[in-house]
Amino acid sequence: MLTLFKARSVITMNPSMPRASAVLVRDGIILEVGEAENMQPWLQGQQYQIDEQFAEQIICPGFIDPHLHPSMAAVLLPMEFVTAMRWKLPWGEIEPVTDAKTFDQRMQELHASKPAHEPLFIWGYHELWHGEMNKARINAVSEQRPIVVWHRSFHELYMNDATMRMAGIDPAQIKPGMQIDIDNGHFFEVGLGFAINRLNPWILAPERYAEGLQRLKQVVHHGGHTSIGDLATGLFNFDTEAKALAEQLEGDDVPFRTRLVVHGTRLTQGGRKPQEGPELAAALMARNSHRLHFGKHIKLFCDGAFCSQLAQLQEPGYIDGHHGEWLAAPEELERHIRAYWHAGYQIHVHVTGDLGVELTLDILQRMQDEKPRFNHGFTLEHFGFSTPEQIRRIAALGAQVSANVYYLHELSDSYASAGIGYERASQMARLGSCFAAGINTTVHSDFTMAPAEPLNSMWVAVNRENHVGHVMGAAERLTQQQALQAITINAAHAIGMADITGSLRAGKKADFTVLAEDPLTCDPMALRDLDVVATVFEGKVFPVK
Amino acid sequence: MSDNDAMGANLQQPNPVPITVIGGYLGAGKTTLINRLLAQPTMPAGTAVLVNDFGDINIDAALIKSASPDGQVIGLSNGCICCSISDDLSKALDQLSNLPLQRVIMETSGVAEPARVWQHCHYPGFTPQALIVVVDAENFRSQSKDKYVGQLVNAQVDQADLLIVSKMDHNPAFQLRRLTAQLTTTDPSLLATVLGWTRRHPLTATLSTTKTASFAARTWYQQQALSLEELYALLDRQAEGVYRIKGWVEITAGIMQVDRVGERLTLKPMEDRPVPAQLGLVFICST
Repeated sequence: MLTLFKARSVITMNPSMPRASAVLVRDGIILEVGEAENMQPWLQGQQYQIDEQFAEQIICPGFIDPHLHPSMAAVLLPMEFVTAMRWKLPWGEIEPVTDAKTFDQRMQELHASKPAHEPLFIWGYHELWHGEMNKARINAVSEQRPIVVWHRSFHELYMNDATMRMAGIDPAQIKPGMQIDIDNGHFFEVGLGFAINRLNPWILAPERYAEGLQRLKQVVHHGGHTSIGDLATGLFNFDTEAKALAEQLEGDDVPFRTRLVVHGTRLTQGGRKPQEGPELAAALMARNSHRLHFGKHIKLFCDGAFCSQLAQLQEPGYIDGHHGEWLAAPEELERHIRAYWHAGYQIHVHVTGDLGVELTLDILQRMQDEKPRFNHGFTLEHFGFSTPEQIRRIAALGAQVSANVYYLHELSDSYASAGIGYERASQMARLGSCFAAGINTTVHSDFTMAPAEPLNSMWVAVNRENHVGHVMGAAERLTQQQALQAITINAAHAIGMADITGSLRAGKKADFTVLAEDPLTCDPMALRDLDVVATVFEGKVFPVK
Repeated sequence: MSDNDAMGANLQQPNPVPITVIGGYLGAGKTTLINRLLAQPTMPAGTAVLVNDFGDINIDAALIKSASPDGQVIGLSNGCICCSISDDLSKALDQLSNLPLQRVIMETSGVAEPARVWQHCHYPGFTPQALIVVVDAENFRSQSKDKYVGQLVNAQVDQADLLIVSKMDHNPAFQLRRLTAQLTTTDPSLLATVLGWTRRHPLTATLSTTKTASFAARTWYQQQALSLEELYALLDRQAEGVYRIKGWVEITAGIMQVDRVGERLTLKPMEDRPVPAQLGLVFICST
């Protein structure tokens, strides 16, 4: 059976024919994109149906988030969100809560809505908006129900007495110096590790984790994705994650495929040499199923977390003089990169600061000197800070960029005033320059670091407006065309799937994202609010309610 | 707080287990040092070794078994807690806390700032005892000027309570001109000193449970030039319990490098650069 999808307009992302009005599909594969009257040769003597449900809408290539973390999402999504920023979630839009009183009200409502004694995990607290948090404040909501209030950064949490009883945390055990303020129920950094270990039976309970992945599935669908990249499979525990992913993200009801990129240092953890890595990674491909694919991809890590100001910066560094951190010794990173480079892998390096970028490019230069490769797909992941000179090097070395552009929206204001100064803060995610240099450039959410909404990433990349409404680095804005490229065909290149998806042309999978309005001609400020009507995954329609 | 008070306060719970942190950049010789410690016949029973298993593990498992029946090797990683919710170091310490341990020796990752790891040792049931950093005589100079790791290797040295200089045979003239207690890996008292080293700190001093000899350092900072006689007098006054003195002192004749091991004192004028940022003496003493 053939299906002829008609639309108000079809945006193909195929530069040879940017627009069309119909797509003809058989067995999940596109037979032809173009005008219906040209498709008769396919239809003669065949059974076919004309699907006009999208006749008034816009068909785009299926959106792709090339870098998110299902495992982190599975932990976070079962929690209740009370956040200062808006989050569109399938089970409801989270309205911003921007003051202490409303935060307490939300805690009360959540408490009232839950079965008694079920622990309540709340995520999204931030002192800037929600005032000082402490145990007494949570106890005031309930002394019986265990309630945990997690900071938006994930780096600290607060709990009430009932949680301490539940988790077996004895205040008498807690000594000064532990980064635990026990009187206020506040656990941070090292203290957070302790608290998490005590809370793990609840946070990582298998049924809760499975529920989390089910929620992730909805989030990914509602964001309009038809492909995603899990850019560190094995982040917590490889076997547990691989099993849960196979159970929850495979099957006819799953409207997207996942590129699994294994966490390289975890893969060889336990004393194995980096040179053993490529073979271990290759063996994972035997696990591939229809929707879950390992490939010749590896994830490695360079410098520290962007949101914790641990990115490694070149001079003049951070205003307060602190330094970022390396996640691996430069020599170690190079040994790993060398092993995978020579084995022909596509290497994805987590890199956040411009000193990290410099190191990564120095290593890549040495690899190119040792063994020149073309079309190798070496990808700089996150790409917080960079310099214009580095853009030239990235292009010259044939690397590509996958940026978390949302940080510009959320953090450029605070980084300008309390981090690195206005100039560099406004030039985070130097994406316009990347496009100008001809670098394959995509954007990602790193979900749960940013909302898994490609249209939201597109909105930030096009407008570069931060959360207080200031345009940051206007010269680096993308056009709507470029930004749509970033979340479709360029993203497909980044996860090594451009041969099957990312644009609409004969021979590719019939992966569509259907929008109510045209993302190339709409008001740029409206981009993040465009309605995702449905997705089509390999020819099958999955409405977004 | 006296020892008795400490005992009283701990009636409900056992004493926290002291952790000796062994830091230093990649290749400095941390693992070699740990292997030597483990091979020692006098290695106390009930010692756990935590190694960073994201690198090549070269800890000799046979040594661990023979030297310490309760010993365990558990991997840990350097990483930001937000990115590893099951946080390896905390998990390792939680596992260890169920064992009848006397002490923990923790090898940090080569890119760890020891002071951050020190923070981590304030984990329920544990207490940090000493921060020991191994410095590679052969490569330190170039590493300390490296664009990528220069700041880090300098910070590692700055944060140490005790510096162990390795690979002196490759660079016999190597000197770290700073007022931190330092030994070389060929020092005969190396292993006992490492095991017994205790940061002078009110909490660790009273809560330490080690049964081996305890070692620590005192530092005297020079404020004004001395005569040679005054220097001798100063060195003699410090005799009790002190078995090693090292430093740089300005006397009338210029800056002298002072080195005393046991009774043997070497004084030699310092002619080359760099002049230490701070002049003074470090006294290593057993307590």
